[in-house]
Amino acid sequence: MKKAGPIYPFPAIVGQERMKLALILNVINPGLSGVLIRGEKGTAKSTAVRALADILPEIYVVKDDPFQLSPDEELDWFTEIRASLGRVSGQERVSGEEIEREKRKVRVVELPVGATEDRVVGSLNLEEALKSGEKKVEPGLLAAAHRGILYVDEVNLLDDHVVDVLLDSAAMGVNAIEREGISFSHPARFTLVGTMNPEEGELRPQLLDRFGLCVNIEGISRPEDRVEVMERRAAFDHDPEAFSRRWAREAEGLAEQIEKARRLYPEAEIERESLFQIARYCLEVGVDGHRGDIIILKTAKTLAAFDGRARVSARDIETAAELALPHRVRRQPLMEMADNLETLRRKKQNAS
Amino acid sequence: MRRDLFPFAAVVGQEDLKTSLMLCAVNPAVGGVLIRGEKGTAKSTLVRALADILPELETAADCAFSCDPARPQEWCERCRERAAANRRVKKRRPILTLPLNATEDRVTGSLDFEEAVRSGRRVVSPGLLAAAHRGILYVDEVNLLDDHLVDIILDAAASGENRLEREGLSFRHPARFMLIGTMNPEEGELRPQFLDRFGLSVAVNAEPDEKLRVELMLRREEFDLDPAAFQRRYADETAALRLKLSEAGERLPLVEFPKRLRKFVAELAMGSHAAGHRADLFMEQAALAMAALEGALEATEAQVMAVAPLVLAHRRREAAPPPPPPPPPEEDKEKENEKQAPEEPEKAAENPEEAAPPPEKSRDEERENASPPETGDNQDEGGPEQSGAPEDNHVQIGETFRVKSIQAAKDRLRRRGSGRRSRSRVSQKQGRYVKSGPDRGGGDLALDATLRAAAPYQLSRPRTAGLAVTLTPADIREKEREKRLGNFLFFTVDASGSMGARGRMAASKGAIMSLLLDAYQKRDRVALISFRRGEASLNLPLTASIDLAGKLLAELPVGGRTPLSAGLSRTWLELRNALTKNPLARPIVVLITDGRSNVALGEGKPLDEALRLASVMGRDERIKYIVVDTEEPGAVTFGLASQLAAALSAAYFKINDLKADALVNIVKGNLEK
Repeated sequence: MKKAGPIYPFPAIVGQERMKLALILNVINPGLSGVLIRGEKGTAKSTAVRALADILPEIYVVKDDPFQLSPDEELDWFTEIRASLGRVSGQERVSGEEIEREKRKVRVVELPVGATEDRVVGSLNLEEALKSGEKKVEPGLLAAAHRGILYVDEVNLLDDHVVDVLLDSAAMGVNAIEREGISFSHPARFTLVGTMNPEEGELRPQLLDRFGLCVNIEGISRPEDRVEVMERRAAFDHDPEAFSRRWAREAEGLAEQIEKARRLYPEAEIERESLFQIARYCLEVGVDGHRGDIIILKTAKTLAAFDGRARVSARDIETAAELALPHRVRRQPLMEMADNLETLRRKKQNAS
Repeated sequence: MRRDLFPFAAVVGQEDLKTSLMLCAVNPAVGGVLIRGEKGTAKSTLVRALADILPELETAADCAFSCDPARPQEWCERCRERAAANRRVKKRRPILTLPLNATEDRVTGSLDFEEAVRSGRRVVSPGLLAAAHRGILYVDEVNLLDDHLVDIILDAAASGENRLEREGLSFRHPARFMLIGTMNPEEGELRPQFLDRFGLSVAVNAEPDEKLRVELMLRREEFDLDPAAFQRRYADETAALRLKLSEAGERLPLVEFPKRLRKFVAELAMGSHAAGHRADLFMEQAALAMAALEGALEATEAQVMAVAPLVLAHRRREAAPPPPPPPPPEEDKEKENEKQAPEEPEKAAENPEEAAPPPEKSRDEERENASPPETGDNQDEGGPEQSGAPEDNHVQIGETFRVKSIQAAKDRLRRRGSGRRSRSRVSQKQGRYVKSGPDRGGGDLALDATLRAAAPYQLSRPRTAGLAVTLTPADIREKEREKRLGNFLFFTVDASGSMGARGRMAASKGAIMSLLLDAYQKRDRVALISFRRGEASLNLPLTASIDLAGKLLAELPVGGRTPLSAGLSRTWLELRNALTKNPLARPIVVLITDGRSNVALGEGKPLDEALRLASVMGRDERIKYIVVDTEEPGAVTFGLASQLAAALSAAYFKINDLKADALVNIVKGNLEK
């Protein structure tokens, strides 16, 4: 994402609580694998995603590594990639201490709708090939997005074969390149954040399923809030830095809360009976596969952690289901997407 | 074990799939597995986990082609040269992932560019087919794999070797591999000959049992929190599985297949009308593997029965052509459906009986409807049909089905766009890089091919300062890209009163819905035009939103007279607009009508006028027409739609003819769900 210009502070976004919550949850727990934001134009979708930069946590990466590998957890990959790039022999293992590491914020990488496949997966490095006569990999966007956030604006307009690529690497957490004379793979696990305007067409169900959460947003209807939106925007445009300073405390507060939640998450506990409730939810509405169950569990735990609790409440599960289920109910192409769980249940009741 | 691998033993449920994968691991002759099923059911997880428990095989040391020491006739050149000195090593059976976006050179192998620059020698850089020899080639979403790659794989699978004739190389090496593929049927089916290459097929579904679902959630969460600890927890079970598979592999050559079972196998295969003899062979091999797994030295009926469903599921064919569906009952229960119709299209699609309404109509009215359309010559108000159906009716969508493949003819024009219906060369720098060709000045440099072309001459060319490779214009290769493009699909629908009769509209809507589902899979853009009463209207301008089309279709009202000419001319107008905006487009028009017409645009007879218009429209070769005749077979038929089709030079179908040949009746329950 371009660094051009100051960024609108995340807490200063008026309303759209659901969207903000879904984004925050994904920042706390990348395992939620992303959020799809559906809504009309001009509802602060893109602003919110860009504003995430404010509240993103920091991670350790191998210094200057184009593949964003973790020095603690991905040493086997590191060794393998180094070997296949011909820098060291495969036998030579590197230990954690030898590697230079750096701490930096989680990255948001933008995937433009018109991106070509080779830019996304990576390609042959022209310069190296001509200069040294060696095949080197030019890492693509998937490499840049590893352990970060991959943001696709208008994700429903994405070209089909790029969607295939996303599905491929999302399924395996690995980007396998077998093209243009190179054979190479690297880990590519990312949080997929997409925005779309449903009027422009729906997503393929398979891609839909890859988004952990989904929120529908609408324009704000209360006049006071609309005025607030305009005023804040005007203030920001007038003097972005002063505006950001004014919101700095809240942004910091939120970032701290997120950091705490990240630490608390592994300890969050859930009662066995609640797990059955989750399973029943999913069976009731009839979702494909098990991703729904798993995502609800993770979301509920993340909600509890965000709230500073180590115990998942019934409310957490309810909210988690509302975030994780609606887009999964659309099981096949051409099935209408249930707007929210309510209509869904009503349908169910009417049917029986 | 790789940190990110979920242990095979820890996967909850999916016993069929686990068994199939284990059979493959024990006996490569089983021929691989096609895994069909909904998303999120551990398909990929299990296949990837398999890599960790596969038995080992013996091969010559440092051989890129995994030559089998026991088969000297297949050895590669290098192994032959140093046969005496060959050291044998054991390595795990390889499992190679073929990504959807692979290019041809990486699949078949190509010139080793680095070696060529260094030494000027042409050496093969082996591709995926070489690496997968004696192992497994794994394709996720195999139904989305591009056709040209499918062809290469089929070719290699059929001959057991890969022949390389490119870039001045002529080379062959053995390539016997098992295919494992996963697919989600909602994204389209496999080609029959590709389907047949898979030894087994398994349908996977989500676990319906709450307890198991809970267990599954817990395990996944535990794994995600600390993968290493989770793997350790299952280390013993993983080791036991590994041992079991490797012992079974060693036992396999000793297992016998008794003669009496051969007959049994043949009967089973014949009983399900499996095509060809592959089913028998795969069944035998799978039963052998099953016996080996169970520690037996002779295969039994029980083992054959256990593997038979896996082998036969995707080979089963209908015994005879499917019986014609019962004649549609008469008269729609339109009134009752009026409210529900727009809300529940999918429900209607699932329950064809519901959409097929009970018979009610009187003999008289039927005869009236059957009267020749020309009677509508008296064009002013009050034709007999109109009095019969004075108001608009809503009709539910009838039965949906898989449709025949419909494509625009392939030509050599280069286009832009996306989709997956008709194949075309594309001009933009998008689409699959299929192969490389000589420079056309398009600026889409195929760097790899260019370098490979230049590489062998580097030693003799003068060095450019700072560069290891010197290129000349003759080396330049460009990317040839190809992709399937979505077409423009125009649906022109007769929505007049006569269509409302006797469930014809329900059946027609079912047919259109089926075509729309197909259009979704092919990523077409669709438009919907309907004609009724005195006029034709554009209900939906060209859009990529098939969902919207489906919704509108459900709501499409029926009633009034039949202005066929108006429908045709409106379609023509839209076609011309589309072609002006997009001169390279090859639109497909699907005309759903019984061919009757009782409202003309001008003075002449409505039917003659329509036929005249049709013959003008039919002259444009860029447009492909399809006429779907909705006239029901019966005592009195007029065959008007076929006349219309002839005038349009259109392909002519009855609704039932649209159904894809049920060559392979794939796990039908899955499709219907």
